[in-house]
Amino acid sequence: MMVLITGACGGLGRAMASECARRGFALFLTDICELGLESIQQGLTRQYGVMVYTHVCDITNEQQVAAMFERISGMEQKPGMLLNIAGIDHEGGFAALPEDRIIDIVRLNIEATLRVTHAALTVRDRAKRFIIVNVSSLASLYPMPLKATYAASKRFLLDFSIALGQELKHENVSVMALCPGGLPTTDEALQGIAAQGLWGSLTTNGLGLVARRTISRALAGRRVYIPGLVNRMLSILGAFAPPALVARLLHRRWQHAQSQWLPSLQ
Amino acid sequence: MKTVVITGATSGIGFEAACAITAQGMRVIGVGRSAERCERAREALLSGMPEANVDFVCGDLSSQREVHAVADAILSLLGDEGLWVLISNAGGVRSWYTTTADGYEMQFALNHLAGFLLAHRLWPRLKQAGGRIILTGSNSHKMARMHWKDIMFQRRYSCLMAYKQSKLCNMLFAAELNRRQSAVKAYVVDPGLVNTDIGNKETSGLVDVFWKLRKRGGVDPEVPAQTYAFLCSRQPAPEGLYYHNCRSVAYSKRVNDAADAKRLFELSEQLCGVKFGGGEL
Repeated sequence: MMVLITGACGGLGRAMASECARRGFALFLTDICELGLESIQQGLTRQYGVMVYTHVCDITNEQQVAAMFERISGMEQKPGMLLNIAGIDHEGGFAALPEDRIIDIVRLNIEATLRVTHAALTVRDRAKRFIIVNVSSLASLYPMPLKATYAASKRFLLDFSIALGQELKHENVSVMALCPGGLPTTDEALQGIAAQGLWGSLTTNGLGLVARRTISRALAGRRVYIPGLVNRMLSILGAFAPPALVARLLHRRWQHAQSQWLPSLQ
Repeated sequence: MKTVVITGATSGIGFEAACAITAQGMRVIGVGRSAERCERAREALLSGMPEANVDFVCGDLSSQREVHAVADAILSLLGDEGLWVLISNAGGVRSWYTTTADGYEMQFALNHLAGFLLAHRLWPRLKQAGGRIILTGSNSHKMARMHWKDIMFQRRYSCLMAYKQSKLCNMLFAAELNRRQSAVKAYVVDPGLVNTDIGNKETSGLVDVFWKLRKRGGVDPEVPAQTYAFLCSRQPAPEGLYYHNCRSVAYSKRVNDAADAKRLFELSEQLCGVKFGGGEL
């Protein structure tokens, strides 16, 4: 099977690509970063000896996505799995951020994901099963002050995934939403988790484990995967608690975490 | 003038080793990740010793592309001179499983592969000078074994196990180099428990707290720096592999496992996409 991964050079993208390669899947990796693609292609080929194709693409750009899928439709083997990993968040309050930064979040997390998903469904090999994984977030389960746009964009992906999965159930397509809490993907993310203190540690799950279970569950046809027991409990609590109350609690938590973390980033 | 390359030279053991080695009149080329910290370290070295011959090269050694860039920069600084010593000291600890740009586990890539690849790139110059290579090891290698089935701890990550294994890798690499009867002698220094920030940089929770408490009992980095200076200056080349406080000390029996050492050497060649010369190096 060949797996198409967007955002393949980021921390989560690399871990997912590595997990797929470990299972012997061929890879088609795309990212905006050319040097990063070269590195990960070389590393995975050396480590696992699998076939790794790469394609530099800004998936928020219509023409570039069209060109990428033209290449894919010309390939003998079509992707049997799509991992929509590319996503973005800009730290800071809504009013404090410039407008284009806010719009960026929606353009990549929602618009680009829809574009790639639609194109991948169009070129898929209809005789075979097709699996889609969308990276939503634990943030999708509540309204989240200071991350309002990001959390709402992830909510979109969660609802969209469940609905699309139902819609295409009889066409041999399954769709899963991954809703992770903190993921220790990069050194910056590690610092962010450290800044959240105990909460950070409790809601954080190891990347190797999350990658392995994500692929296993997607292959098993699951619809939602929330890694970690604490996160699953939080999601259940969140479903019953009044949204305004959750928003108040989360606001306090993010204000604290950002006051600890953001100054050290600047 | 003899030249010594030191990675991870902007703080901790690497910085103090750079001070001790420049004090012996050797030229030092330091390697650090941040340009700002490199500049600060260079100024600190020169303020103590204005006549010192010091350069810094900046690069993130966790990425193989940057290891190559660092090697290119070092080679151009060397001109056509040989390299007397490579001190592969840069290393780190990660609380969680993270991958490098190449998709390798961070501690394995940074603590072992980076030094392996840099040694390969600088090998002709080390041979030319009949030089030495010194790796920063740790006594914790005695508690480790090689996890061949999952060498990058992808399936079950343990920060400490990954660290200890990477330090065993340093030992096996040095032992294999010596076994291949090279013109270059390889050593590993056990710095002992040293009061540096290695366990607090990209860690959180338990590891961070544990290391904050534990490092209080450690010696200052000037102490192990003396062992590096000793191994750089002693003539003829000292016997032995593993040094602590300027003395050859005992190490784990696992280091003598020639099959493991050969296997690691070949795997590292494969993962770095390089090949040391066959037979005699």
